[in-house]
Amino acid sequence: MSWPSRIATVAGWGAVRLVPAARRDWVEAVWAEAHEVPAGWPRLAWRAGGLGLIAKEGQMARTIGSWLLFAVAAGAAAWGAWPGPPVSHAAAVQGGILITLALLVGLPLLSRSVLGSPDNRAARWLRAGFYAAILAVLPAQAAIRLFLGTVPRSGNDRHTFDVIQGPGVPGSISGGPGWAGEIGILIFMACFLAVLLALTARRAPVAPATLAIGAGAGLMLGLVMYAITPLGLNVKFPDRPWLHGSAGNTVGALAWILLFCAPLVAGALAGRRCNVEDDPAQAAVAQAWQGFAAGVVSGGVGAMLVTVLGAGTTALMVRSAWVRDFLYHGPHLTASAVYGRELYASQDVSAYLVLFFGFPIIGFMMGLAGTGIANLKPRLPDGGRPGGPPGPGGPEPLPAPPDGGRHVDAEEPTVLAGGADAGPTAPTPVLAHH
Amino acid sequence: MGSRGEFSPQTLAVLAALSGQASAWQHGYALARETGLKSGTLYPILIRLADRGLVEACWQDEPAPGRPRRHLYRLTADGLASATTALAEAELAAAERAGSTARPGASPRRGRGVAAPVVP
Repeated sequence: MSWPSRIATVAGWGAVRLVPAARRDWVEAVWAEAHEVPAGWPRLAWRAGGLGLIAKEGQMARTIGSWLLFAVAAGAAAWGAWPGPPVSHAAAVQGGILITLALLVGLPLLSRSVLGSPDNRAARWLRAGFYAAILAVLPAQAAIRLFLGTVPRSGNDRHTFDVIQGPGVPGSISGGPGWAGEIGILIFMACFLAVLLALTARRAPVAPATLAIGAGAGLMLGLVMYAITPLGLNVKFPDRPWLHGSAGNTVGALAWILLFCAPLVAGALAGRRCNVEDDPAQAAVAQAWQGFAAGVVSGGVGAMLVTVLGAGTTALMVRSAWVRDFLYHGPHLTASAVYGRELYASQDVSAYLVLFFGFPIIGFMMGLAGTGIANLKPRLPDGGRPGGPPGPGGPEPLPAPPDGGRHVDAEEPTVLAGGADAGPTAPTPVLAHH
Repeated sequence: MGSRGEFSPQTLAVLAALSGQASAWQHGYALARETGLKSGTLYPILIRLADRGLVEACWQDEPAPGRPRRHLYRLTADGLASATTALAEAELAAAERAGSTARPGASPRRGRGVAAPVVP
């Protein structure tokens, strides 16, 4: 075999990995059959057909589209966040941006090889949402850092800066975390991303409905949290331009309630929706997984949403006079007071990081508690009510498929373990979704 | 299933090739030669037919020395029934078309369902 043929063969067998496991046999068949085709153009044409099959069955158009979209968004985020030479710690910030992008690219590839790629819409949307959020935070964070580190030359602003930030060299740009701070943030983000990717992978024992429920609860939590902390997280001196008096207290109380109840309810709902037939032990494990996942997702989505919206609002405020006037129209503050608030808000944005620790942990505990509460109410046979007549029975079971076959029209069940790559003898308890 | 409207001419060609030796396993390259289809057309057709339970596939048990195992195909019982019906319907339709165009005064430009004038 000549070396071009050898390379084509190796590349072809490697490309087979791009196709979903259920379809690989077919692509491998084309490649194997190429040996029977006369060498030269006919064999090349045969292999070209195989590449076409890989593109079609591997849903390459969607994959390429996703990567292109990510490349454009990542490029725009990096361009917006890239610090200029006058910024101190510029090298650390630049390194942080590059490593963030590398993590966003590398971790999904690693997750795909270990746990499989996401196989449902809820998982894909959740990943896309987190990716968009992380990319949106990069330029917002850069704008805030630049504002926070720019030392005014003179006047009241200089005095305010010295009081809040400490003395600096007039006209210079300083501040921002050094390498230690960047590395800490990157390690934390890598862990956060790893959990997200694991929960949304194909082999994760998490049902799509669980992800959807957790995300819905998290969106609610995030929006309410944003309403009370739109300009950074400062519990001592909360800065709420649009909530005054009792309205702020009411929404604040709602935020506390949601912080604990949203993952609790999400965990209970997700746990109730899942059942492993004829195996109580497996059922308990599966329900615990759903509760855990729903809680963590709700906490993660809530923390991410409030961070993106809060950092975005703060960045817009320091960059746009219109937003500044809109936010502080009511109090009629002096320019110096507004500058002071901007400095405080810019400082407080970094405290959102606390939410990334706290919310998923609270979500994890409350989600599990929710599953436990859901399990306190015993399931009744035949869908009946206590003391009432028996309810209607469940749907008729599907007929057994032919040997080695599968139901063409039957919806594929979500597997608890194993997944599509598991061998035929691997036990695959089924999560039944009511 | 099996009415001629469901199958493209290329799929009918594959069904014809497979039903020619219904009980025998056939290779992809042999089917491609018989039908004149390229691999990029043939295999998606085989995949769709297998998804519908009309074709079954398996890997060769003992490959030729130095060669990879080949994938083999044949019609299932359902597939054979569908292929027989679809091919018969296609043949009938072809015969009707040939008959209508052979009749004096008939024009291939006439629309479907328009009766050709009968010359006594």
